[in-house]
Amino acid sequence: MAPPRGEVLQGTLDLIVLKTLEALGPLHGYGIAQRIQQVSEDLLRLNQGTLYPALLRLELRGWISSKWGSSENNRKAKYYSLTRTGRKQLLAETESWERMTALMTRLLGGAEGA
Amino acid sequence: MKWLPTFTSRLYGFFSKQRIERDLDSEVQSHLDMLIAENIRRGMTPEAARHAAKREFGGVEQTKEECREQRGLPLLDGWLQDVRFAVRMLGKRPGLTFVAVLTLAIGMGANTAIFTAVHSVLLQSLPFPKADRLAIVWSVLGTEGRAPAAGPELETLRQRSRLFEDLGAIWAQSGALTGEGEPEQVRLGMVTANFLGILGTNPQLGRFFEKVEQGSGAPRVMIISDGLWHRRFAADPRWIGQTVRLNGQPVTIVGVMPPGFRIIFPEGSSVPPEMDAYVPFRSNLASSPADQSYLRVIGRLRDGVTIAQAQQEMDTLAGQIRAEYNTFADPPLTLQVVPLQGDVVRDIRPALLALFGGAGLVLLIACVNVANLLLVRANERTLEMALRTALGAGRGRLIRQLLTESVLVSCCGAVAALSFGWFALRLVLAMQPKEMERFSAIQMNPPVFAFTFAVAIVAGVLFGLAPAFGARKLDLARSLKDTRHMGTPSGRRQRNLLVISEVALGFVLLIGAGLMLRTFVRLLQVNPGFDATHVLTFRVSVASVKYHTNDAAVQFFRKLKEHLSQLPGVEAAGVISHLPFDDTLPNWYGFYWREGASNHEQNTTMADFRSSLPGYFKSMDVTFVSGRDFDDHDVAENLHLAVIDDTVAQEAWPGQEAVGKLINIENGDFVRDTAQVIGVVKHLQYHTLTNQVRGQIYLLYPQAIRAHMAVTLKSSANTQTLLPLIRQQVATLDKDLPIYHVQAMTDYVESARRQTRFVTLLASIMGGIALLLACIGIYAVTMYSVLQRMREIGVRTALGAAPRQLFALVLRQSMLPIALGLLAGLVLSLLLTPLLSSLLFGVRPTDIPTFGAGALILSTAGLIACLLPARRATRVDPMIALRYE
Repeated sequence: MAPPRGEVLQGTLDLIVLKTLEALGPLHGYGIAQRIQQVSEDLLRLNQGTLYPALLRLELRGWISSKWGSSENNRKAKYYSLTRTGRKQLLAETESWERMTALMTRLLGGAEGA
Repeated sequence: MKWLPTFTSRLYGFFSKQRIERDLDSEVQSHLDMLIAENIRRGMTPEAARHAAKREFGGVEQTKEECREQRGLPLLDGWLQDVRFAVRMLGKRPGLTFVAVLTLAIGMGANTAIFTAVHSVLLQSLPFPKADRLAIVWSVLGTEGRAPAAGPELETLRQRSRLFEDLGAIWAQSGALTGEGEPEQVRLGMVTANFLGILGTNPQLGRFFEKVEQGSGAPRVMIISDGLWHRRFAADPRWIGQTVRLNGQPVTIVGVMPPGFRIIFPEGSSVPPEMDAYVPFRSNLASSPADQSYLRVIGRLRDGVTIAQAQQEMDTLAGQIRAEYNTFADPPLTLQVVPLQGDVVRDIRPALLALFGGAGLVLLIACVNVANLLLVRANERTLEMALRTALGAGRGRLIRQLLTESVLVSCCGAVAALSFGWFALRLVLAMQPKEMERFSAIQMNPPVFAFTFAVAIVAGVLFGLAPAFGARKLDLARSLKDTRHMGTPSGRRQRNLLVISEVALGFVLLIGAGLMLRTFVRLLQVNPGFDATHVLTFRVSVASVKYHTNDAAVQFFRKLKEHLSQLPGVEAAGVISHLPFDDTLPNWYGFYWREGASNHEQNTTMADFRSSLPGYFKSMDVTFVSGRDFDDHDVAENLHLAVIDDTVAQEAWPGQEAVGKLINIENGDFVRDTAQVIGVVKHLQYHTLTNQVRGQIYLLYPQAIRAHMAVTLKSSANTQTLLPLIRQQVATLDKDLPIYHVQAMTDYVESARRQTRFVTLLASIMGGIALLLACIGIYAVTMYSVLQRMREIGVRTALGAAPRQLFALVLRQSMLPIALGLLAGLVLSLLLTPLLSSLLFGVRPTDIPTFGAGALILSTAGLIACLLPARRATRVDPMIALRYE
């Protein structure tokens, strides 16, 4: 049996992908998947396939763009990079995420205190 | 505009599907390859590495499908898939598809044809700029509800009205165009100078009349029609400003109206649509006699003014006119404002709407039939539907699929309906009544196409719903297990419901057609007061200078009549100014009163005036109630005599003998005179067969000279042999005089029945189609239920049921929905037929014989449709039936 893993919240995957691309620059799907697992130290396990609908969604919204290139091992791969609107979006989403978590922390903390 | 880039790339995705698929494939593959390489690097075997990679990646196909849904237009994608599938399904059953499409084509074709007429006549605005601002003002005077106005009346309205931009009038006459080639009779519109400007259609050449060109002493000017310009003036623009001779006087042509221009006035207003030329009135309208009513008044309302407001203003003005003119005080004058468009179509609207409703019913029946076909088909497809449901198709998805199929069928039907409708429209136009002929362009156009396809989509959803609802109630487990599934009891109930509605709708149509048929027969039986058989008529006009003395005209017609009566086979000859049911010339009617009537009794009752020579009544076989016809002595002595009809006699001298009495009449154009009544004849139907419009007063020709006369010849000889002889006789009197409008009197009578014949014929065709469709539907349903119950019937046979019993069983069960349908149809008909009452004559909307015959016809037809399936049931071989699957 696979160990219990954290569910990817609706909408958070987009944020994670955007953040990853901001941190590492142009990257292919495999690279993004590896990075997410590495950072989350396997706390967050996702089917790597689910990354692709998310990438497509972001691309359709114009937040990332894609280009075919070759990997370090000389493999053909599609590279995604953050666009200018994507950068703005990331900033906005990060802010709202922080507000949200702050609110959740306060709420949950308050509940404990009662 | 955030959605725009997304939408454009989705659109792109929709259209460049293959390239994007390849792209996605290689991207996913590249990811997998990297995973595998990494796993191998960690020391896995290639086989294990591949499995591990697939596990880590998750469902490859799921990923791709999710991507596909993001991209492109999933709704459109799915829909196209539905359409492709529907085309395949329909192609699999070409026979069924063909029958469905054909049925719908008939139903929708009928609708297309009738809608084309409805659209052109009732919906489209008249071909004048801002036609909705045009209104007719009728005078209501005594018993005359739609009388023309007199000069002072119009002038008062024009000067005082604030709500009308302008008011004008027309009076249809005829005139002789001479000089430059053959003399020609032209239809002449005498108009106020502003009349054509009010209608708003500009001349294609030249100009409108100017104000100074109306009235006595004004320069003589004329605007001609495009037709006359082409016919007589070789379409030469240099004729503008040139002078021609009209009725012997020189007039200058100042304008040419555009091609297709027509004066669209209501039927019965004595304003024919086609005019050859227009000339301004030469009399001073304001000072012309108040008792001479001849002006057909039209006005253009100011923007934003409603008919009700205009009516209010006219009520006020009518009050002022009553106060200022004695003539209009008693009987009191009132004015009625009606929109031109509404007034023009008021006679034809009920007929067209009734036919439109009938066509709608035919379509409904067609839909029911197709629904039945699809229902049978859906039953065959229960397994398919169950399988699809099991594989995860939602109910909405299944219904969408079924509706796509049915709408596809109906759109095919719509295409066929357009061509079918084109032929049906030819039929409609070939029979169109006079009221429709005023509208020049009745043709299929984009709005008609749009209508047909809108109907197709609605119809497709309508008949697609039945099987779709069947799919909704699918019992999955049972359907999948029961592979020989052949319809559930609910399916049978649905089919019975279809039969009931089909019979009910068919009954309504049959009753409608039956009532029209009865009306038509009644019309055939109407005695118009004369005998039209073997009466040949033609027209001669003596408008040329040669006949400017009255005596010349009288002598010409006297001699003509004398010569014609001597032709072989001719029993009687007559000369008359107006023939019954002939509206090529404006009607001549005016007030009359018995001599010695008090002031307020005068100007209360109108009669049609006719000018005649001795012999007319004999040639038309008109019955004399008392007295006698004019004779040659009266003509020679130029006596002031009149023959009146029994209507006038009754109105003027109720209960008394009219012969010998003196009557005040209108002699020629608005000249009053007193004549002695020498005879009373039966009333003749001059305008319609069904309504008595006015009484008639016949005057002696020398006393009432008219340029345009008709000749009636009662003769046993046929037209072909008679016509050359007639021409010869006319030529010996005057070789320059043409005869025209040669027509049998029976044709005139026939023309009076045209609207009823039009509606009757179309309604009968619709009734016939409805009956046929209903029979096909009943047959199909009954046969299907027999085939479904093969096993049961087989068992019954094996257990000893006699064929006779089985026969009765099937008949009993299938006649029940028919009987219920008849009952529903009866109720529906009782609700709907009162709407027809304005079209009916001599028959009530709830005519019992018609209802009885309708029920008999429909139940007999239904019985016949059931016979074949019932016989099929008696021939079931139990051995085969029990094995029948």
